[in-house]
Amino acid sequence: APLAELSGDQDFQLFLHKNLEFTRKIKGDVAALQRVVCDTFQLCKEEELLLVQQDLRITQVALEQCHRPGFQAEACFSQIRDGLHAYHSSLAAVLELLPSHAGLVETLQLDAANLSSNIQQQMEDLGLATVTFPAEDRGPLPAFSSRFQHQVGGFLILANFQRFLETAYRALRHLAR
Amino acid sequence: LLLLLRLGGTLGCASVEVGSPVVPLGSAVTASCSVRSRLCRGLQGGRARISWMLDNETVAGSQGCGGGDTEVSNLTLPQFNRTQAKLWCWVEWNGTKQRVGLAEIRAGYPPAKPSNLSCLLNLSDYGLTCRWQPGADSLLPTSVVLKCSTSRAPAVTGCTPQGGRSHCTVPRRLLQLYGQMEIWVAASNALGTAESERLRLDPMDVAQLEPPALRSIQSVPPQTDCVTLAWAVAPSSAHMELWCELRYRPPEDPNWVLVTGIVGQAGTAQCCGLLFGTPYLFQMRCRRHSARGHWSEWSAARNHTTHE
Repeated sequence: APLAELSGDQDFQLFLHKNLEFTRKIKGDVAALQRVVCDTFQLCKEEELLLVQQDLRITQVALEQCHRPGFQAEACFSQIRDGLHAYHSSLAAVLELLPSHAGLVETLQLDAANLSSNIQQQMEDLGLATVTFPAEDRGPLPAFSSRFQHQVGGFLILANFQRFLETAYRALRHLAR
Repeated sequence: LLLLLRLGGTLGCASVEVGSPVVPLGSAVTASCSVRSRLCRGLQGGRARISWMLDNETVAGSQGCGGGDTEVSNLTLPQFNRTQAKLWCWVEWNGTKQRVGLAEIRAGYPPAKPSNLSCLLNLSDYGLTCRWQPGADSLLPTSVVLKCSTSRAPAVTGCTPQGGRSHCTVPRRLLQLYGQMEIWVAASNALGTAESERLRLDPMDVAQLEPPALRSIQSVPPQTDCVTLAWAVAPSSAHMELWCELRYRPPEDPNWVLVTGIVGQAGTAQCCGLLFGTPYLFQMRCRRHSARGHWSEWSAARNHTTHE
């Protein structure tokens, strides 16, 4: 059954509420890392990095299927799942950048992987066709030509991931009762 | 006492075979000791007289010819009631008795089925600590591991209890937060294996919340019978929807007054109907709103004396 019809289903609602909480947790951890990047490298405002951002190929996962008016629940879930997968990989660049916060970054990677497989499991439980989106141009981690670029890259990965999570959160909440 | 044993572990002169080196306690043990006179220097041509000792106790075997120059003594111990023993094979030589072979035997039980498995998730490191009742001692070396699996990954060893304990902690990297997991204890020794019941849980549903903090308590001056408390949940629960309750009482009064249904992350709660000029103890605790999982411990008590 299309996902929207399932929003009355108790198990589905439990799945939504659990993973809304999980998303809040991940968002909190990403915010904590953003504060570390701000305190450590004085990189706090995205608008100050618009120029240098153009030189970097930083993970940017679009969730167009999760935005209204074209909200498409099954496709949105697939995009969230694939996006989490992508950020799980690109967080490796943040791990290199912040060795003294490796614990928090690794927890973030574990959480992103868990949330992605929770969504995959739920889609399978609901018998949804698992739509897999092309990996866009995610490819290997960007190679930074300077330490400054690496710092900016880390900042942007976290900023994009926070925005991604915000959209994912709204999509889950849209379906939750 | 000359030990007729050849170095390097090959007992050319003699060898002892047992049916099984580990047997159920009280069951029969069979053994045989074969002496090859030709290979025992000093025994050539003679008929080896074989005897047995179980630790320090003589036990009788039945000796016969094993073909060629080999003598064989067979031994049956109908009811082996020791948990551990050494079974020695001896041969008489030059008027002396020589140790020529040894078998070490252990006895016990298959592992008991572990029971009462329960787990708690620690929110500071997200380790899942599980405890269980090991059951009766098997008297044998027994390996115990905690196994876990998710719907998307095969069973793995979650953790191994150390030093014979019956608890251990599954690290975060093996957990599937907010997903269904199966957790069970597996015990195995030489006589068999046993598994506990399988616990199906979401680790978050057994999270042990850290208690909230009572930040401040103030009397509401116009109505001396009311106080306002400022409270906040622990940082580790900041992302959760919680259900909290408050209790208060004068120190000497054994009965607490309970205020339930306090929701949210932080805020203020008001209590009225208090006696004026009276010292009160206040505590608070929380649990996840989904009513799954455990209450936190009560917060540290805070004292407050109401207005005169």
